Amino acid sequence: MTDVPEFASTSLASAFPETPPGRRADGVWRGAWRRFRRDRTGTWAMAVVLAYALLLACTGSGLLARHWQDEVAVPDAPPAFLGAAGDTGIAPQASVAASAAGPDISDVDPLAPRYREWNERAARDHAQAKPLTATLPFGGDRLGRDVLAKTLKGTQISVSVGVLAAIVATLIGASLGAIAGFFGGRVGDVVEWLYNVLTAVPEILLFFAFAAVFGRGISTLVLIMGLTGWTSQYRQVRAEFIKHARRDYVRAAEAIGASAGARMFRHILPNVSHVILVRMSLLVVGFVKAEVILSYLSLGVATDQVSWGTMLAESQSELILGHWWQLAAATVAMAVFVTAFSLMADAWRDALDPKLRGQT
Amino acid sequence: MTASPLLKVEDLHVAFRLLDARGRSHRVEAVGRGEQGVSFEVPANTTVALVGESGSGKSVSAMALVQLLPRNAECSGRVLWDGHDLLSAPRAHMQRLRGREIACVFQDPVSSLNPVLSVGQQIAEPLRKHLDMTRAAARRRAADLLAEVGIAEPGRRLDAYPHQLSGGQQQRVMIAMALACEPQLLIADEPTTALDVTIQRQILELLARLQRQRGLAMLYISHDLGAVGEIAQQIVVMRQGTVRERGSVRELFEHPRDAYTKALLACRPRLDERPRRLTVIDDVLSEPAREPAAPVRNVDLDLAPRRADDDDPVVLQVDGLGKSFWLRSGLVKRVEFKAVQDVRFTLRRGHTLGVVGESGSGKTTMGLTLLRLNDGASGPLAGRVLFHGHDLLALAPADRLAMRRRIQFVFQNPYESLNPRFTIGQTLVEPMTIHGIGIDMPVRERRAREWLQRVGLDADAMHKYPHEFSGGQRQRIAIARSLTLSPDVLVLDEAVGALDVSVQAQVLNLLKDLQDELGLAYIFISHDLAVVRFMADDVMVMKDGRVVEHRRTEALLAHPQAEYTRRLIGAVAHRPATTTPR
Amino acid sequence: MLAYLLRRLWQMIPTLIGVVLLIFFLFRRFGVDPAQTLASLAATPREIAEIRQQLGLNEPWWVQLGLFVKGIVTFDWGRSWATNETIAHLLATRVPATLTVALPILVLDTLIAIPIALGVACVRGSLTDRAIMVGTTVALSISFLVYVIVGQYVFGFQLGWFPVQGWSDSTWTNLAVYAPLPVLLAVMVGLSPQTRLYRSFFLDELGHDYVRTARAKGLTEPAILFGHVLRNALIPILTNVGLTLPGLLIGSFLIEVYFSIPGIGREVLLAVNRSDYPVIQAVTICTALLTMLANLVIDVAYRAVDPRVVMR
Repeated sequence: MTDVPEFASTSLASAFPETPPGRRADGVWRGAWRRFRRDRTGTWAMAVVLAYALLLACTGSGLLARHWQDEVAVPDAPPAFLGAAGDTGIAPQASVAASAAGPDISDVDPLAPRYREWNERAARDHAQAKPLTATLPFGGDRLGRDVLAKTLKGTQISVSVGVLAAIVATLIGASLGAIAGFFGGRVGDVVEWLYNVLTAVPEILLFFAFAAVFGRGISTLVLIMGLTGWTSQYRQVRAEFIKHARRDYVRAAEAIGASAGARMFRHILPNVSHVILVRMSLLVVGFVKAEVILSYLSLGVATDQVSWGTMLAESQSELILGHWWQLAAATVAMAVFVTAFSLMADAWRDALDPKLRGQT
Repeated sequence: MTASPLLKVEDLHVAFRLLDARGRSHRVEAVGRGEQGVSFEVPANTTVALVGESGSGKSVSAMALVQLLPRNAECSGRVLWDGHDLLSAPRAHMQRLRGREIACVFQDPVSSLNPVLSVGQQIAEPLRKHLDMTRAAARRRAADLLAEVGIAEPGRRLDAYPHQLSGGQQQRVMIAMALACEPQLLIADEPTTALDVTIQRQILELLARLQRQRGLAMLYISHDLGAVGEIAQQIVVMRQGTVRERGSVRELFEHPRDAYTKALLACRPRLDERPRRLTVIDDVLSEPAREPAAPVRNVDLDLAPRRADDDDPVVLQVDGLGKSFWLRSGLVKRVEFKAVQDVRFTLRRGHTLGVVGESGSGKTTMGLTLLRLNDGASGPLAGRVLFHGHDLLALAPADRLAMRRRIQFVFQNPYESLNPRFTIGQTLVEPMTIHGIGIDMPVRERRAREWLQRVGLDADAMHKYPHEFSGGQRQRIAIARSLTLSPDVLVLDEAVGALDVSVQAQVLNLLKDLQDELGLAYIFISHDLAVVRFMADDVMVMKDGRVVEHRRTEALLAHPQAEYTRRLIGAVAHRPATTTPR
Repeated sequence: MLAYLLRRLWQMIPTLIGVVLLIFFLFRRFGVDPAQTLASLAATPREIAEIRQQLGLNEPWWVQLGLFVKGIVTFDWGRSWATNETIAHLLATRVPATLTVALPILVLDTLIAIPIALGVACVRGSLTDRAIMVGTTVALSISFLVYVIVGQYVFGFQLGWFPVQGWSDSTWTNLAVYAPLPVLLAVMVGLSPQTRLYRSFFLDELGHDYVRTARAKGLTEPAILFGHVLRNALIPILTNVGLTLPGLLIGSFLIEVYFSIPGIGREVLLAVNRSDYPVIQAVTICTALLTMLANLVIDVAYRAVDPRVVMR
């Protein structure tokens, strides 16, 4: 389908060349997919996002980064490409061996005969423990944990929280928006009241209030963000339903006897779904960023979990000492994802409806 | 004419660079086809009309003259003005020219005026820019201009904002703005199309008067061949990007040479006669070449009016119909706005009732109310609508579904009344599914295909989407959709208003054929008296929600009793004799 | 106009009631027991029961709600559980600090973004435009935290242009010495989304018919942008500013935390970490009220910008 040059009078707009007979026309989605494929930036961005999705699957199922919590390196181990820091780590056996020999002090120290036994046992345990390495691919944090593993795990957590919260917010906001927009009246007024109450308070403050009450954790986060973040989706869907409910094709559906539900979901929804999707992608980005900030403030994920936010929180103190790798890893992982996701969402929006261009 | 023309267009080509669905960029020719470009002249002190249907390239040509096309337009050819070629002129040159020597008036004054600046400020702008007037001098001049274009109380109106004026007044402001610096050429792009019928006439007369008084040259673009016949001295007829015929008004109307011109003249329904069928462009174009002097014969012409039989059974009886809306006023009060008051009529099987009025007359509201398509909660209903003994206005919601089968509605805008996400097949099958017509899906699809063929479309349209069809085809699909339920009454709200003249003729002929075949009763709502003349047996004229006059068509047109009816009839352009034989 | 104002104020009441109800039930139903928090760790059950009695926690919920509302209306919001400071005093001292930072950010953001967006709209479609769009996308994808962390490190620590942290009692010192770095960082971050947004507003306006009319009158592009497009674009810009006003008080909390500025945002954060309910409740309700008032102010301001708006 050709794009029409921006022209006020409809006389040019109606001069569409018709599809040659015999060729099946594109539906909305197939046509959009065709247009999307043409957008190089968009396709590359989508490839990156899919790569992230794959990473998510691997990390979530435990294939990768399962043992991110293990302290495998010396504290603040630098990245491999930088070379090891000054001291190469203490060889554990040496300290044990050092205390093995020595004068017999059993008449002074009642525990002395047992030292030898304990030292041997300790030496056995230590021998089983892995030696702490001096460097890691991306470096280590202050506890010696692998930054690469943390980044992978953190990516999984941060992205899943963002996506899940966006889905919850979309489901709530779109349903309420459809009902309020289509029916209006009393129902619409009640929902509007709810919307006004939730938007009277700044979003961050709502997050704080809920966090103060419900505590930390991934499911809490998703719930909080979903329950308070549906307002933008609601606003948009309501406006779209109001607009479409007045359109002739919906009136025509009413004229032939279609029920209210049929009109809302069979007729209007397919015309509005692309708007909902675009808004949802904006929500994903917004929620990911919000999660990072909340986790940074220790209000987000639980203490035993890692996310981009917790990594940034830790990196604050590391930076003063000159250890920049955790900051860099988290920043790059987040920047690449958000950029790619935003570019992909832009490209999808342009492909689905060129008239929406310029709305973000 | 020995004097050289003011504007000379030579071999103009305009193409747009577009991206198609595959992302490839290609050129779409809008003006000029292949080797043949568009050429015409505008002499000084003359009105030249550029006439054509949608897609003819008339607007694009006009905008190309002053380099007002979008960025993806590619122009070639020459446009000579005062010895210079405007197409290759630098932007600064064009900016000096526009507004000063060549001015424009556009189609839709609502969107063409800046909503946040006052009328006076907008008129003063070109005065201050081109003529270097002081603010006070520009303001005075602006008031004079407003008076000249017929706006009452010009001094007070200077500070008004566009939204505070009516459509006609807004267009007058546009004209005042255009004429502010006394240009030599005025380009008017469909200046009356967006206005009500009576206002159209006023603006047309205003432009004609101004042209005469100031000795302007005017390039008047329109799709209405009849209207331009009154205002123009020369006509250029365009079709699909090429010029089909050029000549003086007299020559063109009395001795058209080109087949398309002849067809355009012939297909328009007229006020003074009522054929059985309208001529359609294809009829004319497919005829073998004939001598220029021989008139076109309309084979199906039957000038005797169709007998409107009073013995036909009554289908719909409307009594005292009224519909009001609640409007909020003040803090808590609400005010009742009576959109329709006290409408009564009787509709018989096989008959057509024409409902005529301008915007705000309530004719559309009345049509929607008959089908209970207005929101019931938005205001009170009054009166009775008896359909086979049942009062439609008092129906319980459960019974309304059955009612929907018997009365159907065709909407005005063919680009809006089909769901863009449904295939044609889905659109046609849906009503049957809802009402349980046909035993199963294959049966319904077969019926849908039959209806498609009945309205003149191919059965393979079932899998296509609305955007692949033209306006006329979409309207036919909409008609087919209503007919799948085999209704008794069809309410058509400006069903052909948005269509080109030639397409209009096809759809009107189709409606008449269907009425004859199926015995349908129509309520035909329109603002266009000529079309109503063609379609309707009785005519009801509405103004401000009330019925002004209601009589047999011929009687109403021949001897209108109400003043408003007379004004409406007078507003329809009278044109010189056409080629249909008497 | 007066009728309009009265009607709007009247309409605010249900929303305010809703906020009060939300806060009340949220904290009462899901929060920790205040008696537990206020009592010392070694308190006996009897002492805890006494505290509950004093706080009126044994009354039915509607009585508690009544007390709650009474407190709000009489401006007696209680005391902070953590510091025992009266909330009123807390607000009075913290809000000015927040405003000293937040207001300059808002003003500078808007004032700088408009010319940049205008400039970008001028060169729309060109390589510069695309480069800026991609640049802002990338800039937006980096968390605000990173800017703050790195910015403080570079400008404060390494280059030493600004003090790393600090606050004083004098507003002027604050504005001149302590506020610049945080304001600079926040404006830098805020520029990207604002520029993109305003650019889209300008582009939208450029597509309208009245721009074509202005061109037809022979106006130059700059004249069209400033005289016509800007005036119309002010409407959505004003809407946008109105939307960000509510976040003014709390939005800069990150800055306050990081630079140790004693503002209301930081106070709320401390309260959350300490489960200091009275502070959170009071701030939430006050912010809601201020938001609604700010919306009203913006709506009235519309009248000055858009003549089509009718105050009914």
